[in-house]
Amino acid sequence: MAMRDLVLGSTSCPDPSASSSSNNPLGALANALVGSSSKTQERLKEIPTSTPTGPAFQFYSQPSNELPGSELDKPFFDANSQGPEFLNRFRSAGGVGGELEGAWNEIQHDGRVSQHPSSQLDHLYHRGPGPQLHQPPLDGTPQRVLSSFLHSFLDSGRGGVPFHPAPVPLLGLSEGDKQCIRDRSSIMARHLFADKSEEFIDAQVNALLCSLDIDSNIRGKGHMPERFRELNDYWNESQGNLRLGAPAADGWITEYSQHRQQYDNPDSWANSFEQQHGANGWVSEFEHSQLSSVDQMRGMNMSNLAAMEQTRMLANTLGGDPKFQNSKFLQFVSKMSRGELIIDDNQVKENALPASGDWASEYQQQYNHGHSWAGEFLNDKVSRGPDQWVNEFTTGGQQVEPVDDQWVNDFSKLHVDDWADEFGQQMGEGVFGEDSSEHWAHAYDEYLNEQVASRKVSDGSRGVYVFSDLNPYVGHPNPLKEGQDLFRKGLLSEAVLALEAEVMKNPENAEGWRLLGIAHAENDDDQQAIAAMMRAQEADPTNLEVLLALGVSHTNELEQASALKYLYGWLHHHQKYGTLTPPEMPDSLYYADVSRLFKEAAQLSPDDADVHIVLGVLYNLSREYDKAIASFEQALKLKPQDYSLWNKLGATQANSVQSADAIMAYQQALDLKPNYVRAWANMGISYANQGMYEESIRYYVRALAMNPKAENAWQYLRISLSCASRNDLLDACDSRNVDLLQKEFPL
Amino acid sequence: MANSDNLKSEAILDQMKKHLATDAGKTLAKKIGLVYQFRIAPKKLGFDEVVYTVDLKKGEVIKGPYEGGKPDSTFSFKDEDFVKISLGKLNPQIAFMRGAMKIKGSLSAAQKFTPDIFPKPAKL
Repeated sequence: MAMRDLVLGSTSCPDPSASSSSNNPLGALANALVGSSSKTQERLKEIPTSTPTGPAFQFYSQPSNELPGSELDKPFFDANSQGPEFLNRFRSAGGVGGELEGAWNEIQHDGRVSQHPSSQLDHLYHRGPGPQLHQPPLDGTPQRVLSSFLHSFLDSGRGGVPFHPAPVPLLGLSEGDKQCIRDRSSIMARHLFADKSEEFIDAQVNALLCSLDIDSNIRGKGHMPERFRELNDYWNESQGNLRLGAPAADGWITEYSQHRQQYDNPDSWANSFEQQHGANGWVSEFEHSQLSSVDQMRGMNMSNLAAMEQTRMLANTLGGDPKFQNSKFLQFVSKMSRGELIIDDNQVKENALPASGDWASEYQQQYNHGHSWAGEFLNDKVSRGPDQWVNEFTTGGQQVEPVDDQWVNDFSKLHVDDWADEFGQQMGEGVFGEDSSEHWAHAYDEYLNEQVASRKVSDGSRGVYVFSDLNPYVGHPNPLKEGQDLFRKGLLSEAVLALEAEVMKNPENAEGWRLLGIAHAENDDDQQAIAAMMRAQEADPTNLEVLLALGVSHTNELEQASALKYLYGWLHHHQKYGTLTPPEMPDSLYYADVSRLFKEAAQLSPDDADVHIVLGVLYNLSREYDKAIASFEQALKLKPQDYSLWNKLGATQANSVQSADAIMAYQQALDLKPNYVRAWANMGISYANQGMYEESIRYYVRALAMNPKAENAWQYLRISLSCASRNDLLDACDSRNVDLLQKEFPL
Repeated sequence: MANSDNLKSEAILDQMKKHLATDAGKTLAKKIGLVYQFRIAPKKLGFDEVVYTVDLKKGEVIKGPYEGGKPDSTFSFKDEDFVKISLGKLNPQIAFMRGAMKIKGSLSAAQKFTPDIFPKPAKL
């Protein structure tokens, strides 16, 4: 039946496979209404002609006094060409304060992204995590909120926890944004929750979209007749109230009881409705803002220009539609004003009010069993005795089925086909645009990861050693010896912990720091290696191994000047070759000078493997890889059992694009030291650089299984996963799920 | 020759140059078939920029501006940020949104600029 299609369509996900009719409360309601129930003939006639009466809707037109936020209903719709007034009242009432205002203004004026992204925007991104107050002013930078929101969505998905549809602030999302998020989230959800049921997926996605005030369907942009639009409002509102309603059904019933006196008088409802919807001023402002943000969005979302154009038109048509900003948004405001929402560590969270948890789970439950909602509702009503409306409604409807059909046919004739076409069209575009929307969702996600990582990295790059949180070796009688043993056994991550305990106990122990640095380097963490080695150097400024290790690590980090300094230091402090260098450390070092000195040293004692090693590193610095390879090979003749030397040779060969040779060298290193994380990771790099992504994934995963803290490997793994078209595992990568990845990619 | 003025990016672009000569590199060039120009600033965006051309039509990396006409896209970034992007530590879109990367030219060409076009350096 067309009506049903309409309603079902309008709540289902854009993904055609995700027909959510079975778990869609609105759909179920539609079934109940269209299929088996109807109203009195009189009333039904009135619906398509805009004198709506149905008692079902009546109480929604009255702002419910139970909801502290609902006084905003009025300013919202009643904004007789008072868009700004609405905004003002929103600001003052929502407890959002100037921050949202600022954010809003920024969106409007600076653009989310312009060709020359403003420093303000940059500033926004660099802001620290949200205030961690119990009930802080909501820091509503839209991008931030959205990113953390998407992130929390992902988190909830990972845990298999139903995603609570926590309302978020007005994000100023353009239709384009919404479409992206909508498309992407349903697709993503299917990837994420491949092991979960359809119901779960739909519930997750709908909860997300609901919270973001995105209609979970693609709105037809066709000219909806005024009646339908209004009707749609009722649906949305009733739906919205349900979602919001702390005691979902009960609340409705209470409200219903409160207002039942009035519904004998249809005019009162109609009046109040007109009052609310009378104004177009706000609407036009909204349209305007949508258009401008869509324009800005176009700049951002480059590949999708055609779709964007489409979207712009869509926004144009729908901008005038008040339902975009209806109840779900209000839900947020009211929720926020009640303090049920807090911002904690960059995430919008629900405050731990007992009610909110209850309603969320209740909601989730209802949503999952959405198809039974309507039935439940009906039963509920009936069981509550005094309310006879449902019965009335049902019986009444049965009497006027023809009219019912007529009404529905009206709809069909008017626009259903258009709308369906539109839907299909949008779907097609959604598929085309999938790539880019995917990117954007990733981008948000990665931004968060990056923030976490960059905090760590920036600490590391300042040379500050970051200790592990929980260290079982603290209090160990002899952590250094323990660390040495573990290191020898190849248990690098354990050795790191033991050595950390040692240097916490004896901060001046150069050997402890040095070994810790080596363990980190072998664990493929150069930042920590540098930090540890710098402490070692403080304790023992002339230790040659420390100087060499620092030179190597800085070379890896492409920090040429520092690397050169340490390599020179190695020579300078060497017993034998120190005489080659001037007694004073020169102010500035030139590569040519340093390299010349080392060549002299190598001539002085060609059988010293170490000087060849340093020379090899030096040639890596200048990217003279052939010479570097020769140096390392020379050194290997003298020290064939040095696994790190094999790795150095391999890495040099890899960097000079001799990947096949490199893999042989790495294999040598791994034969000598099977837990050499760096060599495993390097293997992965070599395969990836040869375009053998599947292979590379196996090696990265192997490295990460041994040291899940190897950030580089995670980043490279991510790239390889997407190159190997294994986007389904990106989430496992982002959530650092080594086990899953290992199962998927055994070596 | 390495000296303190050198950009980290150069190491990566150097490797890129070699990489493009390999089979994997050739496949990549065939797949993308665009010309990118990079304007890399050592410290501050737009200052003392060094220009590189990564020609994924011919499969070359040239230090200096593109001479075969107009590049499909021109990117500007700081040395640090370029390195982060090419190593997958920074998402290009985020860099763009934060203003750490500027784009001129075709935006659809720019979207093909992803970390996976760069070879990854192995570690000693």
